[in-house]
Amino acid sequence: MFKALKPFRRLWPQAVAVTTLGLLMSSPALAVEPIKIGLVAALSGQSAKSGEALTRGLTIAIDEINADGGILGRPVELIRRDDESNPAKGMLAARELIQREKVTVLFGGLDTPVSLAIVPLANQMKVPFMGAWAAGTSITQNGASDNYVFRVSAMDEIVDEALVQYGIDEYGMQKPGMLLINNPWGESNEKGFRHALEQREMEWAGIERIEGSDLDVIPQLTRLKNAGADTLLMVGNVGPSAQVVKSLDRMGWDVPVVSHWGPAGGRFSELAGPNADRVHFIQTYVFTENNSAKGDEVLSALKARYPEIQSLADITPAVGIANAYDAMHLSALAIEKAGSTDGTAVRDGFYAIDNYAGLIKDYSTPFTPEQHDALGPQDYVFTHFVDGSIVPVKP
Amino acid sequence: MINKMSLANLLATAALTLGGVALSFTLDSYSLLVFSFFALTVVVGAGLNILIGLSGQISFGHIAFYAIGAYVCALLTMAGCPLGLAMIAAALVSGALGALLAIPALRVEGPYLAMITIAFALVVHHGLVEWRGLTGGANGLMGIPMPQLGDMDPAVLMALLASLLMGGSLLFYQRLRSSGWGTAMRAVKASDIAARSLGFNPVQTKTLAFGLSALLTGLAGSLVAPLMMFINPASFPFSQSILFVLAVIVGGAGSVLGPVLGALLIVLLPEMLSDMAEYRLLMFSGLLLGVLWIAPRGLLGTAARLWMRPQNLQAPAEPDMARIREFIARPANSAALEVNGIGINFGGVQAAANVSLSARPGSITSIIGPNGAGKTTALNMISGFYAPDSGSIRLDGELAGLPAWKVARAGIARTYQTTQLFGELSVLDNVLAGMQRGRLGRILSAASSAERDIAMQLLALVGYQGSVNTAADELPHVDRRLVEIARALASRPAVLLLDEPAAGLSRSDTDQLAALFRQLAGFNIAVMLVEHDMTLVMGVSDQLLVLDAGKPIAWGEPEEVRQLPHVIAAYLGGTEYQAPPRAEPWDGSRDARLFIKDLVLDYGAAPVVDKVNLVVNPGELIAILGANGAGKSSILQCLAGLHPATSGSILLDNESIHHSNAASIAARGLALVPEGRQMFPQLTVRDNLMLGAFARTDKVDVDAEIEAILRRFPRLRDRIDSPTGLLSGGEQQMVAVGRGLMAKPRILLLDEPSLGLSPAMIGELYDALAALRDEGVTLLLVDQMANLALQVADRAYVLETGRIVKSGSAEALRGDRELEAAYLGEGAVA
Amino acid sequence: MITAALLTGIGLGSMYALLALGFHITYVVSRTVNFAQGSAMMLGAVLGYSFCITWGWPIWLAIPATLTLSAIYGLAVERFLVRPFSSRGSDAWLMATVAAGILVDNLVMFTFGKEPRQFTSSLTESAFSLLGTQVSPLQLMIPLIGAAIALALMLVRRYTRLGKVLEACVQNPRAAMLMGIRVNWVVAIAFAVSAVFAAIAGMLIAPLFNVSAEMGTLFGLKAFAVAILGGIASAGGVFAAGLLFGLVEAIVTIYFGSAFTQIFTFALVILALALRPDGLFGSKTLVKV
Repeated sequence: MFKALKPFRRLWPQAVAVTTLGLLMSSPALAVEPIKIGLVAALSGQSAKSGEALTRGLTIAIDEINADGGILGRPVELIRRDDESNPAKGMLAARELIQREKVTVLFGGLDTPVSLAIVPLANQMKVPFMGAWAAGTSITQNGASDNYVFRVSAMDEIVDEALVQYGIDEYGMQKPGMLLINNPWGESNEKGFRHALEQREMEWAGIERIEGSDLDVIPQLTRLKNAGADTLLMVGNVGPSAQVVKSLDRMGWDVPVVSHWGPAGGRFSELAGPNADRVHFIQTYVFTENNSAKGDEVLSALKARYPEIQSLADITPAVGIANAYDAMHLSALAIEKAGSTDGTAVRDGFYAIDNYAGLIKDYSTPFTPEQHDALGPQDYVFTHFVDGSIVPVKP
Repeated sequence: MINKMSLANLLATAALTLGGVALSFTLDSYSLLVFSFFALTVVVGAGLNILIGLSGQISFGHIAFYAIGAYVCALLTMAGCPLGLAMIAAALVSGALGALLAIPALRVEGPYLAMITIAFALVVHHGLVEWRGLTGGANGLMGIPMPQLGDMDPAVLMALLASLLMGGSLLFYQRLRSSGWGTAMRAVKASDIAARSLGFNPVQTKTLAFGLSALLTGLAGSLVAPLMMFINPASFPFSQSILFVLAVIVGGAGSVLGPVLGALLIVLLPEMLSDMAEYRLLMFSGLLLGVLWIAPRGLLGTAARLWMRPQNLQAPAEPDMARIREFIARPANSAALEVNGIGINFGGVQAAANVSLSARPGSITSIIGPNGAGKTTALNMISGFYAPDSGSIRLDGELAGLPAWKVARAGIARTYQTTQLFGELSVLDNVLAGMQRGRLGRILSAASSAERDIAMQLLALVGYQGSVNTAADELPHVDRRLVEIARALASRPAVLLLDEPAAGLSRSDTDQLAALFRQLAGFNIAVMLVEHDMTLVMGVSDQLLVLDAGKPIAWGEPEEVRQLPHVIAAYLGGTEYQAPPRAEPWDGSRDARLFIKDLVLDYGAAPVVDKVNLVVNPGELIAILGANGAGKSSILQCLAGLHPATSGSILLDNESIHHSNAASIAARGLALVPEGRQMFPQLTVRDNLMLGAFARTDKVDVDAEIEAILRRFPRLRDRIDSPTGLLSGGEQQMVAVGRGLMAKPRILLLDEPSLGLSPAMIGELYDALAALRDEGVTLLLVDQMANLALQVADRAYVLETGRIVKSGSAEALRGDRELEAAYLGEGAVA
Repeated sequence: MITAALLTGIGLGSMYALLALGFHITYVVSRTVNFAQGSAMMLGAVLGYSFCITWGWPIWLAIPATLTLSAIYGLAVERFLVRPFSSRGSDAWLMATVAAGILVDNLVMFTFGKEPRQFTSSLTESAFSLLGTQVSPLQLMIPLIGAAIALALMLVRRYTRLGKVLEACVQNPRAAMLMGIRVNWVVAIAFAVSAVFAAIAGMLIAPLFNVSAEMGTLFGLKAFAVAILGGIASAGGVFAAGLLFGLVEAIVTIYFGSAFTQIFTFALVILALALRPDGLFGSKTLVKV
C-alpha cells in the first residue's frame, strides 16, 4: 500500500507538509498561540487599492490591540488572502482561512459577489464573518436562521434610501434616472432604489446599465434625458462612474449626480476630469484637516506605519480604513466578551458589546440578533472630490 | 501486447486513483476541497487533451463547457434531481453543445478556430449574466445542495467522486487513444489528406473530438456546483480557459499523464505560494514560454521521448503469403476502374482534359509524361481530391465528384509523391489505421491481435525491416514509401494508386518495388503508377497512358508506346527547332565562373544528387540534361541557396557560396530563373522586372534597363503595366528571364524555361537565349527537352538518378541514343 | 443620440480596424500573428502616458519614442515568440504569443500600477457641436487617422519600393528570396509595423477611455474577430469589417443596451464564420495535394 502511494506522495508534497505541520501543532504549545484574524479581499487587479485600505485599517487596530496586551492575553495576527475579485477564489480562500488557518473572525472585502459567496460558508462553519466594505443588502440579511455575518459598513438598501432622500432634499428631485453597473452590486441597488422610490410614490425616468468596457455612456444618458430625468442616481466603480461624468460633459447636460461610494475607490478626480466634483457620493468616514481626536490619532498612526502616506490625498478610500479599524476593535471586544475563540461564543460576544468609542462614531449596543449592521443612515456623510481629496460637501 | 509505456501509464493512473481515494479519507476539509479541484482539473485536462492531443484542434473556450456543466447540475439538483443524474445530464448537455460548436469550428483551423472558441466562451459568459430568470444573473445560484450518502461527510464523498472521475477520465483517454476512434482522430490530425484517402471523414472525427472533450469538461464542471455550493458567471473567468490549455500543453499534449502535471501546476502551485498569489499569472505565462522553447512536446512528452524508447519489434522476415492472400486478394472477375474523358480547369487553365483509361484487376497501368503533363492532377481526380469538370470515373458505381473519403471507402487507395504518413503514430499504428477503412470501430478497445498480426504480415510483404513501434516521422525515406504502401494495402483496396513510388529510391530498392507490384497484381488488385523511373515503368506495366500538357497522347502496351515518335518528342522535345548557332565556337577563359565539386544533396533520405562535378566557364552556355526526377532542378535550387547541400563544395568566382542563404547568393550575382516562372502575380511586369534588380549594389538606371529588356522581348512592351498573373505562360517566362537579367548576374541559371509553352513561344524564347549566349552572358540551363537545350548549349552534362552519366560538347550529344535511354529507359535502346 | 453613438461606433471601429490591420500585415507575409495584439495596444497607451504625463516629455518627443519602443517590441515578438516556432513548422507561436500577452499585461500591472489612469489630452478638453451632439476634436480625428493610416498602408504597398518588396514576399516568398530579398527581415518589419499600429490605436483611444494594464485584452479580442471576419488576407476587407463591427456594436448598444453588445457581436462572429469560413470579404483558397 505504501509503495502504491509512493509516486503520489511525490506529486503531493503539500500533503506531507500539512501532516508534519499538524504533528507540530498538536504537540504542547510552545508559546502563546496567537488569535488569527483573516482577510479575504482584492489584493490584485483593478480593486487592489481597496484591499490595501482594509489591510491598513486592520493593521493599525491590531497594532493598538497588541500594544495593549492582545485579546485574552494572546497576540493578534492578520492573515490575508487575495480573492482576485472572483467569488470562486474568494470562497476557496475563505475555506482555507477557516478550515486550515482556523481564524477566529473572517473579514470580507469590497466585492459584494465575493462576500455573498462566503456567507453560506461562514454560517455553515459557524465562524463570524465581518463585512468591512461590501454593501450588498443580502450579505447580512441572508435569511439564515443562525446568522454569523456582521457588518461595519454601509448597506445598499439604507444607502439607496439616503441617496433618494438627499436628491429630494438638495435638488428637489422629482423624476430620477438610474445608472447602475451591470453586476450584482448594481442589481442589489436596483432593488433598493425601487423600494425607496415606491415608498415615496415617485416615478423614475428609467434604469440604465453601465459596463466597465463602455467607451462612452451617451446612449444611456440620452435615453434618461429624453425620458425627463432631473437627477441621476449612480452606482458604479471608479471607471464607469468617470465615463458617466465625461459623457455628461460631452453632452453638455448639467444634471445633479448623486452616487453610491464607487468614486471613492480610486483616482476618480483624475479619471473623470475637471467636473469630477459634480458627483456627490456617500461615505461612512472621511479624514479632513480637522478630525476628531480619535481621527487624528489614527491618522498619525497611519502616517507612522506607512511612510508613503504623505497627505490626505493618499488615503482616499478612507471608508476601507475606518470601517476595518472599527470592525477590528469591535471584533476584539466580542472575543473578550466571549472569553474564547469558539465561533458561536464570539458571535454571541458581538451581541454583548455595549459601548465602544470608535473612529466613525460612538457605538452603543451595535449588534443585536436582529440587527447585524453597526452603521445606519445617520452615520453616512455626503462628500465630493476637491483637488484630488474627498471632502464632505458640508463641512 | 501491452507495451512498457502504456503499462506505466496504467499503473500511474491506478496509483493516482487509489491515492485519491486514500486522501479523501485522510485530508483535512480544506485540503479535500483543493484536492477535489485538482482532480476535476485533471478531468478537464483529459477532455481537452482529446481535442488538442488527439485531434490537433485548440479551444480557448472550454471554460464555457465547464460553466455549462456546473449550471445544468446546479439547476437540476436545486430542483430536487439526484446528483448522479444531474451530472450525467450536465455532461450530455455540454457534449451536445460541443458537437454543435464543432460545426462552425470544423470548417476553419488555426487562428480562425481559436477565434470561434473565444467567441463561444464570451457569448456563454454574457449569456449566463443576462439570462437572469434561469441563471440568477451575475448573482448566480446559491444554496446548491451537497450530496448525501448515509452519514458520510459530503466533502469526503465529493472528493471520492472527483478521484473516481479523475481515474476514469485518464483511463478513458488512454483507452480512447489506442482505439479505433482515437486512431481515426490522430490520423486526421497528422495528415488530413492521407486520412481522407484512407476513408476517414474529418468532419466526423473532429466533431467527435469536440463532443467528447466538451462532455468530459461538462462532467467535471457538474461537480463544481455542489463543491462550491454557489456558482455565478464570475466563478468561470475567461482566463481559466487559457490556464486549461496551458495545463495540457505544459504537461505534454497527447501524453496520458500530461494533464496531471498541468493540474498540479495550475491548482496546487498557487496554493503553496498563496502569499505570492498576485504573481500567479506572471509565473504561469513565463513557465509556458519556457516549456514551449525548451520542451515543445511538454514536460512529460519530452521526458517520455528521452527515456521511454519504444520496444523493438520486427515484422516477420518472410511474409505468410497464404494469410496475405486471404486478406487482400480479390476475385478475378471484380470490376475494373473505368475512367472516361475526365478533365479539370483551374482558373482558366486546362490542367487535364479528356483523360481516359481502364485499369483491370490484376493489371499494372502507368501514367507517364513529361513534367507538368497533368499526371498527378489525373490521380487527384481519380482519388477524389479534385472534382472533375467532366467525364466519369466508375468502379462498381460512379465516383466522379465524390469526396476523397467516400472514394477511398469505395476501394481506391493511394500513396503520395511526398509520403503522407501519420508521423506521430508508430509504423504498426499507421498500418492499423489503414485497416479501419475509414470506420471508427470500437471506442475503447485497441486493435485485435489478429488485426495486428495481419498488419505485421503486410509490413513483411512490402519488405519493411525496421521496428514496427518506431514513430513514422523518424523513418528513413525508403521505409516511409514502404510503410505507406503497406498502409494503403491494409484497406484491402480494389485499386491501388501509387504516385511516384520510386522517387528517391536506389536502383536495387526500385527493383524490389517492381517485384512487389507484380505480386500485388497477382492478388487481382488493379495497380496504377504515376512514375518517371522509366526502367520501372517499362518493366512492370501492362499498359501505359502518356499525357502531355494535360492531354492524353498515347495509350497502349509499353513496347509499342515507347516507339511512337510523338512520345519521344514529348520527352526530348521536337527536332524541328533550329537555334541560331554561335558564329564561332566558344573559346573564353578557363577560369571557372562556377565550380561544383562532389556535390551531394538529399531530402533526409537516399541522395537525390550524388557526387556531381560540374564546371561553367565565363561566357559558356552549359546544359544539364536528364529525365524528370534525375536531380537537375535540385542542383539549381541548391546553387541558389534554396536548399542546403549535404556535402561538397560550390565556388562562384572562387568564393565558396554553399553555406550562404538565398538572399546573399543573389547579392553575389547568381540569379535563378526558377521552374514554373514564379511571378509576383499581382504586381505589374514593370514591378517584377524592377524587383529583379533588388540585390544590386551598383547604381541602377531602372528605366533604361527595363527598356533594354523590352527590346529583347518586344512582346512585353504592351503588357508592361499589366499584372503578370494575367500574362500567358510564354510571356511570363520572358518576364522571368528578364527579371533574372535585371540582376546583371555573373551567371544566370534557368530551370525548365520551356515547360508548358507552345512550340512558337519556345522558339522565341530559345532565340533570346541564343542571343544572350552570343552577348557573352554565362548561362546554366536545365531543360528536360534535351534536343532544344542542345540546340543552344556549348556543352552538356547528362544526369541519371542523381549522377552524371555523360558529358561532352552539345554537338556530340545531339542524336545520341544513350541520351534517349536516359529519358525513356534502357528498353528504348534495345 | 444616434449621431453620438454612430460617431463612437465609427471611431471604435476604425481602431479595431487599425489593430486588425496589424494582424493582417503579419499574416500575409508569414501566416502568423501576434495573438496578443491587445497587449501591444496597451503598451502603446502606457508608454505614451509614461512619457507624456509621468515624465512630462513634450508630445513631439513622446510620440516618436513610444512608436520606436513599440516597433522594438514588435521585433522582439517576432524574433523570440514567432520565429523559433514558425521556422520549424510548429504552430506553437499561437500559445507563445498568448503567454507573452499575459506576461506583458502582468509586468505592466506591477510597474505601471493597478489603477487605471487618465491620459489627459487637450484634444478632448475642448468640444464643439455637431448635428446636435458635443464632439471633441479627438473623436473626429480617430476615424480620420485610422482611415489615413489604412490609406497610407495601401499607397505604400502599391507605389513604393518598400511596398513592392513587401508585396513580393506576400505573393511569392520563394521568388522574393531569389531576388535577394531577406524575407525574414520583411517578416520582422511586418511585426514591427503591426505593433506600431497597435500603439497608435492605444494612444488615440486612451484619452477617451483610460490607461490600465488590462485595457487591451477585450479590445484585442474584438480586433481579432474583425480581422477574421474581414478575411484576414484582405486589407480592404479587414478595414471594412472593423467599421462594420464598430457600427453594429454602437447600434446594439443603442437599442439593447451595452450588456448585450458582446453577446450579439460574438454570436455574429460565430455565425459569420459558420456561413463563410474565409471571412465576409475573404476568398477561398485551393488546397494543393
